[in-house]
Amino acid sequence: MANKSGSVYGLTILSPIIDDEMATPSHDLQIRAYLATLATDDKSPFALAPGTHLARLVVMDDVIYVGMPACEEHLKSKYLVLESNFDGELDNYLGGLADTVPQQLDAIWGHCVAYPGAANRQAFIDYMKACQLDTTFYFAAVNDKSLPDTLRALHTRSAVVDFIADHQGMAPARLQAEFIQFVAELRLEPIPGPGAMAIPRDIKTGGKDE
Amino acid sequence: MSNINGKVYAMNAITPMKPWKTWILRGFFVVLGRVKPLQQDLINLSFIEFARWVVLPRKRFPYLGNGQKREELQYDYLLFFSNFNGTWNQYIDAFSAVLSRGLNLIWRWSEKFPGSVPVTPFKTYIARVQFDTDYYYTAYPRATANDLKSAHIVQASLDTLSQHAQDYTPAQFAEAYLRFVIQVQAHLGETGEAPVVF
Repeated sequence: MANKSGSVYGLTILSPIIDDEMATPSHDLQIRAYLATLATDDKSPFALAPGTHLARLVVMDDVIYVGMPACEEHLKSKYLVLESNFDGELDNYLGGLADTVPQQLDAIWGHCVAYPGAANRQAFIDYMKACQLDTTFYFAAVNDKSLPDTLRALHTRSAVVDFIADHQGMAPARLQAEFIQFVAELRLEPIPGPGAMAIPRDIKTGGKDE
Repeated sequence: MSNINGKVYAMNAITPMKPWKTWILRGFFVVLGRVKPLQQDLINLSFIEFARWVVLPRKRFPYLGNGQKREELQYDYLLFFSNFNGTWNQYIDAFSAVLSRGLNLIWRWSEKFPGSVPVTPFKTYIARVQFDTDYYYTAYPRATANDLKSAHIVQASLDTLSQHAQDYTPAQFAEAYLRFVIQVQAHLGETGEAPVVF
C-alpha cells in the first residue's frame, strides 16, 4: 500500500456518520455547520497540531450514479472523509491531534458512529485506524521536506528576493559584510507559523465549471 | 462548501467500477509506483501539491457496528483527491492535454468514463462525479507547488554560500555571490494573494 511518499504520509479516513431520525438537525448537517465556522488560518486545529501540510474534511452524502447502463445504488450511511498530508508516522500524528485539539475533534467526530472521544488518546488512535482506507497511489510534489523546513524555506526565499534587489552593484567588501549580517539576522527572525499567511475569503467559490 | 484555500483547490471525485476491473487498476498503480519515469508527466504538470487515488472495495467501507447498517453495494469505488493550483478548468484542461493516456488507464475501468479526450465530455463526467469540500486547510496558502520547490532550492543555495562566506576574500565572495544569484534567479518570486476566480 502507498500511504507514504518519501517522508510525507497520506491519510484517508472514512468515518460513518450517525443516522438518527430523531436528531434535528441531522448529524451530517451539524458537522457541516460546525466546519463552516472552523478557522482555516493559524487557529485551525490542523495548524495548532503539528505536522499537517494540507487537510480537508468532506461529508460524503452518497456514491454517485453515473447513468445508464450502470446500476444505481446508494450508501446506507453518510461518511465524514478526512484527507490529510502530514510529516512522519500515523500514531504520532493522530496522538498529536488528540493532545492538542481534543475539543475540535470531539465537535466534529462526535457525530460519527462509535467515536470514543479524544480524551482517551489510544482509543482515539484505534478508532481512526479502524476508519482508515489504504491509499492505492499517492503523489507528493515535495516529499523530502518537513513542514518547518518548508515554512522556513518560503520565508528565506522572500528575504533573499529583497536582499538581491537591494544589493545590486555593491562593492564586494561591503556586499560580503552585509550578506553575513543578513544571514545572521535571518536565522533569528521568527518564521510565520502554519496557516499564518491565510487570506480571509468571505465569498466561497471554487465550484465545478470555473 | 469551500473547495479553495489561497492558491490551492481541493477536488474530490468518486467513480463506480465493476469489482473484477479493480484488480487491473491495482496492477497499473503498482507499476506506476515502481517505474518512476512513468510519473514524469505527473511531476511535469507541476501544479499538483498532493494527489491520491484510493480503490475502495464494496465490502471494505468502514463498518463499526453500534447500529450502523452494513453497505450492500455492487460496485467497487475509485476515490480521487487532488490538491492543485489554479482553477478547475485549467486543471482539467491540463490533465486532458498532458496526461490523457495515463488518465485513460486509470479511469477507463470506471463506469461510463468517456475518455479524457475530447475534453468536453471528460469535463462533464468529472463534474458529475465530483463532490464538494466542506473544510479545507493549507499550512502555506500563498504558495504554489512551484513556490515550494523553488523555496527549497533557494534555501539550499543560501545555506551553501553562507557556510563559506566568512572565509572568502571580497573578490572570492563576489564571484561566489554571482554564482549564487545565477543559481537562484529562476527561483525567485514573491508569494502573495491568489487571484480571485469566479
